Amino acid sequence: MSDIRTDDIDLTEEPKLGLGAHAAALAVVCVIALVGNTVATENTVPQGLVGLIILWVMCMVGMVLTKVVPFRLPSVAWISAVGILATLPWTPGSAWILDKVSHVNFLTLATPCLAYAGIAIAKREIEIAKTSGWKIAVVAVLVMTGTYVGSAIVAQAFL
Amino acid sequence: MPIKDILLDWRLHLSVLVITVIAEMIGVIAIPIGIGSILLLPLLYAFVMGLLVNPNVISGARALIRDREVHAASPLIVIAIMPFIAKFGTIIGPSMEKIIAAGPALILQELGNLGTIVLAFPVAVLVLRMGRESIGACFSVAREPNIAIIADKYGLKSQEGAGVMGVYVIGTLFGTFIFAILASILATTGAFSIEALAMACGIGSGSMMAACSGALVHAVPDMEEQILALAGASNVLTYATGLYLCVFVALPLTEKLYDLLGRKEPSKAGA
Repeated sequence: MSDIRTDDIDLTEEPKLGLGAHAAALAVVCVIALVGNTVATENTVPQGLVGLIILWVMCMVGMVLTKVVPFRLPSVAWISAVGILATLPWTPGSAWILDKVSHVNFLTLATPCLAYAGIAIAKREIEIAKTSGWKIAVVAVLVMTGTYVGSAIVAQAFL
Repeated sequence: MPIKDILLDWRLHLSVLVITVIAEMIGVIAIPIGIGSILLLPLLYAFVMGLLVNPNVISGARALIRDREVHAASPLIVIAIMPFIAKFGTIIGPSMEKIIAAGPALILQELGNLGTIVLAFPVAVLVLRMGRESIGACFSVAREPNIAIIADKYGLKSQEGAGVMGVYVIGTLFGTFIFAILASILATTGAFSIEALAMACGIGSGSMMAACSGALVHAVPDMEEQILALAGASNVLTYATGLYLCVFVALPLTEKLYDLLGRKEPSKAGA
């Protein structure tokens, strides 16, 4: 895999940032999310702030787990697991956590991420899209339609 | 790039902040079409606005965003999706009983990811007459773990590598649109149950799941919690099982099919 340059597909491997750097970058993202949440919803700044602090802590716990647990899972899998465990009905204090994070809108949290994604598109990616041409674009649309409709059909059959 | 540069890159963060505010102020727009309606979500506007200030897309944008910022933005995608994923976890947790009840369907729908081969592979090989790049292009939805598989087995400079990178790039550029549009159309047609469509949103990509489940929630707001819980659980499951499904089933199957249907001589003419 030595020919994967980090600026091509950064997501293949975790960015080479330390925990402290992650914590700081995550805080920057949370501030942006707080502004977005205040614009998009009726929630007040203090409500959003408390909710985002809790989500920030969950992310950090997840990242620590990614580092210390011997088998390799993506950090998003751990973060998701932390969020799930913290809010299971039989977890003590889960009602309090749920109440606090309910003031943060889930879709608004994705908006800054997509803005970064748009800015991060590199020249190489545009060139690949151009040179691979329309055939690969047609195939890509079919691939995405295939996975979505395929999963929906199987799920429908077994529900 | 040193972390300080990423953190202190105020042009980048300020641009994202402004984009986020504009996107959220516009809000959701529903465009009715014949069989359903297409939902345009703030996260989609944010992506488009990100592209519009990207100097690689619009060269005039270089005044605001330089190559530095483009580089700095890349690691932030993963970090920016983390609070979203944590929030998703908090939606899955309380609904655990419902998810366990949906268990068998939830696990088996992972097999539906083989739909990439069923739908795309015959077209790539038989209609578009593509060569071995069709293997890389069609065996999976071409997210990061799938690229790693191809890189490991064939190398990314191979034809298979060109295929997987091509679909990866198109998915990165347009995936959120495609899934949001697929989900909103299928949700409003009523051909599938909303639970099934929610489970199918677990694609193994945070941003695509966000777009997909977001579109479903806007189509059926009453089922918000259920949709998010099932989509999130399915996405986690895809992270956990997707790699194995690809290595042990999808890739060998695609290769067998290529032996059956594909061109026999090695050729680069396909793309």
